[in-house]
Amino acid sequence: MEQVVLQKSNLNHWVELMHRGFQVVAPSRVQGEIFFLPHAGQLESDLLCGIATLPYLPPKDIVFPQSETLFSFTRGAGDIDFSVPDRPPEKRVLLGIRSCDTVGLNWLDHFYLSNFHDFYYQNRRDPLTLISIACTQPMKNCFCICCEGGPFLHPETTAFDIQLVDLEDRYLVECNSEKGKALVDLNRNLFSQPDPSMVEARDQAETKSHTRFLQEPTSYMSAAIRRITSNSVPPEVWTELGERCFDDGGCTFVCPCCSCFGVGYTAKGETGCHYRFWDSCDYSGFTREVSGHNPRAEKGERFKRRFFHKLSYHYVKKDGRIGCVGCGRCITACPGEVGMPAVVERLRRG
Amino acid sequence: MIKNTPTICSFCSNGCGMFIRSDGKEAVGCLPMTLHPVSEGRLCHRGWNRFQNLRSLNRLSLPLIREGSNLKEAAWPEALQKTTEKISELLSRYGPQSIGVIGSPWLTNEDNYRIAQFSLDILGTSHLDGSYRFSGASALTALDRLFSGPFGSLATIPAIAQSPTILVIGKESCRDFSPVGSRLIKAFLHGSTLVLADPSCTRKEHFFKYLLPHPLQSLAAVFKDKESLPPEVSTRLSEPGLALVFLTDQVGSAASLLSLLHSLSPRSATENHLPLVLPLSRAPNLKGAWDMGIRPPEGGLTLHEMLGEESEVKALLIFGDDLLNHLVTSSMLVKFRNLEFVSVADRFFTDTARMAHCVLPIPLLAETEGTMTNSEGRVQKLRPFVDPQGESRSVAHILQDLSQRMGKDFPVLSEPEVRVEISKNIFPYTAVASESDLENVGGILLPTQNAQLPCEPSEAEEQGPEGYRLLVPNTLYAWNRNQMIHESPVLNIEYPGDRPAVRMSPLDAKELKIRMGEKVKIRSDRGEAQVPVEVDENIPSKVLMLSSHFVEVVESLAGKGERDVTTRTLFFPNLAVTVERL
Repeated sequence: MEQVVLQKSNLNHWVELMHRGFQVVAPSRVQGEIFFLPHAGQLESDLLCGIATLPYLPPKDIVFPQSETLFSFTRGAGDIDFSVPDRPPEKRVLLGIRSCDTVGLNWLDHFYLSNFHDFYYQNRRDPLTLISIACTQPMKNCFCICCEGGPFLHPETTAFDIQLVDLEDRYLVECNSEKGKALVDLNRNLFSQPDPSMVEARDQAETKSHTRFLQEPTSYMSAAIRRITSNSVPPEVWTELGERCFDDGGCTFVCPCCSCFGVGYTAKGETGCHYRFWDSCDYSGFTREVSGHNPRAEKGERFKRRFFHKLSYHYVKKDGRIGCVGCGRCITACPGEVGMPAVVERLRRG
Repeated sequence: MIKNTPTICSFCSNGCGMFIRSDGKEAVGCLPMTLHPVSEGRLCHRGWNRFQNLRSLNRLSLPLIREGSNLKEAAWPEALQKTTEKISELLSRYGPQSIGVIGSPWLTNEDNYRIAQFSLDILGTSHLDGSYRFSGASALTALDRLFSGPFGSLATIPAIAQSPTILVIGKESCRDFSPVGSRLIKAFLHGSTLVLADPSCTRKEHFFKYLLPHPLQSLAAVFKDKESLPPEVSTRLSEPGLALVFLTDQVGSAASLLSLLHSLSPRSATENHLPLVLPLSRAPNLKGAWDMGIRPPEGGLTLHEMLGEESEVKALLIFGDDLLNHLVTSSMLVKFRNLEFVSVADRFFTDTARMAHCVLPIPLLAETEGTMTNSEGRVQKLRPFVDPQGESRSVAHILQDLSQRMGKDFPVLSEPEVRVEISKNIFPYTAVASESDLENVGGILLPTQNAQLPCEPSEAEEQGPEGYRLLVPNTLYAWNRNQMIHESPVLNIEYPGDRPAVRMSPLDAKELKIRMGEKVKIRSDRGEAQVPVEVDENIPSKVLMLSSHFVEVVESLAGKGERDVTTRTLFFPNLAVTVERL
C-alpha cells in the first residue's frame, strides 16, 4: 500500500483537480445536518478531520438509493418500449466517508455483487472511488471498535481506495487500489513522501484512537453472538425487546449494512415504471404472506430475526463478518432505545 | 442532483421535522431531522415512507363535473362556472344558510383561515365545520372551555419525558405516535411511573407499571373511588408533574374529558396543578384547523347538524377531506346523497369525490406552502418539495376565482400575508407573523392562557354487572382508512383493511363454541345485530370490540348514539350486551 503526504492546505487544490474527471461528493451541512452532497464551493474542513462526524443518512444511499426506478415503459403505436436508467454519467469520488461506512459498503458489495449480481447496484458502485478518513476521536454513539468497523481501515480486511489519516496540518494518504492511485496521480507534485516519523505518528494516532474509542465500552458483541448463535436467548427477552420496537424501520434504513428492498410499480395511461425502495424486516407486512398468515406476526419474532441476521455465526460464516459496523446510527434512530449496543447488552444479561 | 428540503411530516399531529429528498422530478427519499425538537432523528414507519405516496395513480389532475351518473373531465373555467352558478342559485332560492362549508385538518392553517373567511364573508353562511366533529372536536371543545378560548400549548412532547408519572389512555397513544412513545420509554428508563388505561387489552408492555382496564369516560369515576385503585396509582396521579397522553378521537363527550381533568388536578390553597396534557390525533392539523375557525360560529350548524334529517343545508362545499369516510351514521350518508349540490376540492379520487357534482383538484400537502399546528401547539412551516401535478390549483386560487365569479372581492393574500392576518385575529397565534421565527427548526410554540378550574366529574357510565361489554372505539380516522396510506405501496401493506366483525377473546369464543368467522347475535337494550367473530388474543374476556366505521352494525346495536350537548355531535357509548351463538 503506497503512502504519501498531503498538506491540508492542498486539499482544496486536489479536489479541484478531481473535478476534471469526477463528480466529488463530500459531507456538507443543510440546516445544521450533515449530508453527502456534490461538492461546490468550500469544503467544510471540520467534517474532514479525525473527529467521527457521520452524516445521518449513510452513504449506502449513493449506491443503493432509498428509491430508484428499475425500468419504465411506454406503449406506443406498436410495441411497448422499455427503458432502463443509464449508468450515472460521471465517475464519482466519495470524499470523507468514515471507516464504518466503508466497511458497510464492503458488506453491500458482498451482498449485491457476490451473492448475486445486481445490475443497478453495480452501475452505481463501479464509478465510485472511496476516500475514507480514519477516525481519531469518537462521537458519542460510536462503537465501531467492537464490530471491526474502524476506527482505522486495514487493507487485509477492508476494500477501500484511499484512507486519509489526520495528522494535524497534514494527511497521510494511504492508497489501496488502482482507483486511489489514479487520484494521487492527478498531480504527484501535491504529495510528498512520508518520512519515518510520519509513519510512526500514524501508528501512534491509531493506537491513541483505539484507546479513545475503547474508553467507554459500549457493547458486548462476543457474548451476544454466542447467545444468539446457540439459541440461548430466552423468548421473553425477545418479547421485552420487541415491546420496545416501534416498527418504524428507522434502524434498518440508517444501517450501512441493511440491504432489503421492496418493489412497487406505477402506471397511468400508456406509461409506467417499476421501482424499488428500502424495505424493513421491522415491518409486519415484510413477511406477511398473501394468505394473510404471517410467520413473524409478533414484534419480538421480527426483532429476533433482525438480530439473528446481524449477529448469528450462521451469517458470519456466510458473509465473513457480523452485519453491524458500529456506526451508532440505530441509537439515534430508535424511539424505543433499543439500538444495537442496548440490545447486545440486554442479550449478555440473558 | 438530490435536493434536501426541510419540512414537516403531515401524517399525524406530531409534526416531526424531516428532510424530503427529491431528484428534481419526484421525491426519492426522506430523513428525520436530528435537531428537531419533536423527531430528534426518529420517525414512525409512516414518516419514513412519507415520500412514497406521491407516485399515486389515483391523483386528480383535472376538474370533473357531473353529467347524469358520470363525472367527466372539464376545463377549470367550466368547473368553476358551474360551481358558481349552482352556489348562486342556492343562495337566491334558499339563502346563505342553505350552504355548508367543510374545512379540513389535512389543509394548512392558511387555507383553513381562507375557507373560514370565504364561508363567512363571501357566502354569508355560518354552517362551517370539519369532519373532526366526530373525531376530536369533543376534546378540543373541552380544552377550549378549560382555557376560555384557543389553548395554545399544554405540553411539549419532550417535556413528557420529564414527568414523574404519565397516564397514557389507549395503547395506540404510545404505539402509533413514536415521538411520544419515545418520550415514554425515556421516562421509563429514568424511573417514571407509566400507567396505561385501556379496556381492550390483556397485556401491557413491560414499561407500563399498571394497566387500568377502563375507557376514558369511566376514569374520572374510577379515580374518585380510590379504593379500586392500587395505592401507588392514587398517590402518583395526584402529584404535580403528571402528564396525560390521549387520542382525541377517543373522547366521546367533552364532559368526560373535563371530568377526567378535574379528577387529575389536585388543588392547593395557592394553585391548581393541571397535568401536562398532550391531545394526539391521526389528522396532521387538527388543532390548526380548529383554531383557524373551522367550526360553527354563533348560529351555525355542526357537521352532525348539517347532515341531520331536518337540516336546512342543501349543498356542501368540501375542502381537502374524504368526508364520506368520516361520517358516523348511515342517516348522514342518506342526507349527503340527497344534497342538491356537493363540490369537493381534493387531491385524490376519493369516495366523496365520486359522489360529488363538481370535483376540483388541489395540490398535495407535499406541493403546498403554509403552516400547520401540531398537538403540542407548535406552528411549523410546510415546504413544497415537488411541483404540483396535473392542473391542480391551490385552495386560495379556487376561492378567489369563485368569489370573483360571484362578483365579490376576496382578498388575494400570499401565505405570509395570511399569517399576518391570523396573528392579528387569533390570540395565541400572535407570533406567527414573524417569518424568521417560523424559519427556525421547530417553528413557534404557542403561548398558553391561564386555565379555569375543570368542572365536576360526571357520573360513570352504567355497566351491566353480567354479560359482555361492547366497546366501540372511534376508528373514523384509522390509518387503514387514510387515503395517504392507501397511496403508499409499503404502508398499504402495513395497514390492511378490516372486515365488519366483532373482536372477541379466545376464552369467550371457546366458551361460546365459536370459531373465527362464525356469526354471533349480539343484543343490547337498543337493538341487535348478527356479526362475524374475529378471535383476538389481545382482547380481555367479556369484552367485545367493534370498530365505529362499520356504521350499519354499530347503529343496529347502539341506535342513533348519544348526543354530546357541548360539542353538538354524536358519539357511541360503550354498551352492556349479551352474545349468543347462531
